[in-house]
Amino acid sequence: MSFVIKNGAAAARSVRLVGNLINVCGSSVRCASTQSGNDISEDAIRKSVYISQSTDIFTNLALEDWFYRNYDFADNHILLLWRNEPCVVVGRHQNPWLESNMAAIDENGISLARRNSGGGTVYHDMGNLNLSFFTPRQRYNRRYNLDVICRALYRQWGIKANVNKREDVVVDGEFKQVSGSAAKLGRPNAYHHCTLLVNVNKPNLSLALEKKEKGITTNATESVRSFVKNLTDINMHIHPDNLLSAIGWEYLRTRAVTLEDGGQDLVQQQKGFQMINPTEDWFPGITMLRDEFASWEWTFGKTPKFSVTQQLELSTIHGEVHELTLTLDIENGIVEEIKMSLPTSLKVANFREDASVVTSLKGSRYSEDTVNRVAKAIGCKKVRQLPQSMNMSNMAASQ
Amino acid sequence: MAQYVTQILRCTVKTIASTHGKQMFNSGVSLRSKIFLSRGISTTRCMSSTERWYTDKHEWVEINGKVGTIGISHYAQDALGDVVYAQLPDVGTSISQEDECGALESVKAASELYSPVSGKVVEKNEAVESSPGLINSSCYEKGWLFKVELTNPDEIKKLMDEKTYDQFLKTDSH
Repeated sequence: MSFVIKNGAAAARSVRLVGNLINVCGSSVRCASTQSGNDISEDAIRKSVYISQSTDIFTNLALEDWFYRNYDFADNHILLLWRNEPCVVVGRHQNPWLESNMAAIDENGISLARRNSGGGTVYHDMGNLNLSFFTPRQRYNRRYNLDVICRALYRQWGIKANVNKREDVVVDGEFKQVSGSAAKLGRPNAYHHCTLLVNVNKPNLSLALEKKEKGITTNATESVRSFVKNLTDINMHIHPDNLLSAIGWEYLRTRAVTLEDGGQDLVQQQKGFQMINPTEDWFPGITMLRDEFASWEWTFGKTPKFSVTQQLELSTIHGEVHELTLTLDIENGIVEEIKMSLPTSLKVANFREDASVVTSLKGSRYSEDTVNRVAKAIGCKKVRQLPQSMNMSNMAASQ
Repeated sequence: MAQYVTQILRCTVKTIASTHGKQMFNSGVSLRSKIFLSRGISTTRCMSSTERWYTDKHEWVEINGKVGTIGISHYAQDALGDVVYAQLPDVGTSISQEDECGALESVKAASELYSPVSGKVVEKNEAVESSPGLINSSCYEKGWLFKVELTNPDEIKKLMDEKTYDQFLKTDSH
């Protein structure tokens, strides 16, 4: 019985939320039905292109999540297009300390965000176009979406782009990537989103995603690094606005399930382009979603548990230098355990090999400065710098 | 009284499944009508059953006494591809049937996990957390995900037995 009530309540909420959207957007959406997907014929599906008016990463992630949670895509597929001010976006199960150059991000005023979908880390700025393709789970088809992008590039600019084995959009053979993909599959809805590099600031991209050896051990998802290319380097006439328009039109003129061109006739039957202003008035509950995406608990707290190992040097009063290994265990972004492994020369009766270091840092939020603070607390003079990894300029982690 | 009736029904479902399932389950007959058809069958074997029950979202649950072990089906792991990360519910969490309770990440996609039953999480498979590939290589044995102490054992009546699930996979609607 409680099951029925719960469903009823959820449905009522959907009606309210969706009703609000109808007033403003004029789109005819139904309240979420339990049956959506393959039982709707292809001809009955209409398409819309929504363009977010926000350039704030947290607001756009919240907008995307709002659609995923509240909308019924059974007979209305949506393409949401959005751009952001400079930011680094990590995948849902990633470690931001491992995937991004935290110091460079802070210095350059770049935001750091965690998204809900899987995959690797990406850098966004206003030279990057983001596309979210929403369908019911049963209609989820990443390949279809990427092919629509390739068709748009070819129709408008004659660019021959391909989808490679990893389902990334590539040009120049298999080597230069212009897009990275990720997806979230739930019930009843799913989305596939991807980035398109148009004229992204590549030095900033390389700097923000620069990988350094930090002694982190984790089973979090690691990014696969690829060489990237801006579309403007292929054709100087492409810019984010006309790319947005080209992909939007291509999406509308392509049938909903089969990759078949319906031309202008099909475009006429669609719902067309709509500007979206992601505010509380239009999307009740979006402020709360945005706050969640912008919170420390989400961005850092959702990091899969990991440990950090560093070598410290300890000078004794006799001038001897001993090396010790410091290990921090971090769970939900919080320092849960601080352990020291002492050198064999110092192993005396009163010392255990793995002495637990009790400091006030235990239970605190982990940051890159934590190791230095522990070192200071136990009287170590120097944290040995581990060798830097190879130069990754011109590379980006792909989603 | 109502409780008594449901108890009988629950045991009966298990009994059919474990002893007569193959002969009695014909495609096209709903699970509910099957239950009524088979009333009166001995319930003595209901406790020994380790039958797996499936959801339309491709999770399975195996009941042992009060505890249900949960995993995803062979079909689901195959559709997902190589699982690279398993986010499982923490021990002590209370979850309701059909609640989103975790996620499995395969190549570039995070797929939500829904609980087939209500209850309190009593154990999660730490081996799967460190080696998510177990979900692909052994989805019914080593690749189980978490265990739940059931709060409403009757809920399995909403689920499909193996044969019904196999039929379900042959339809378009999954």
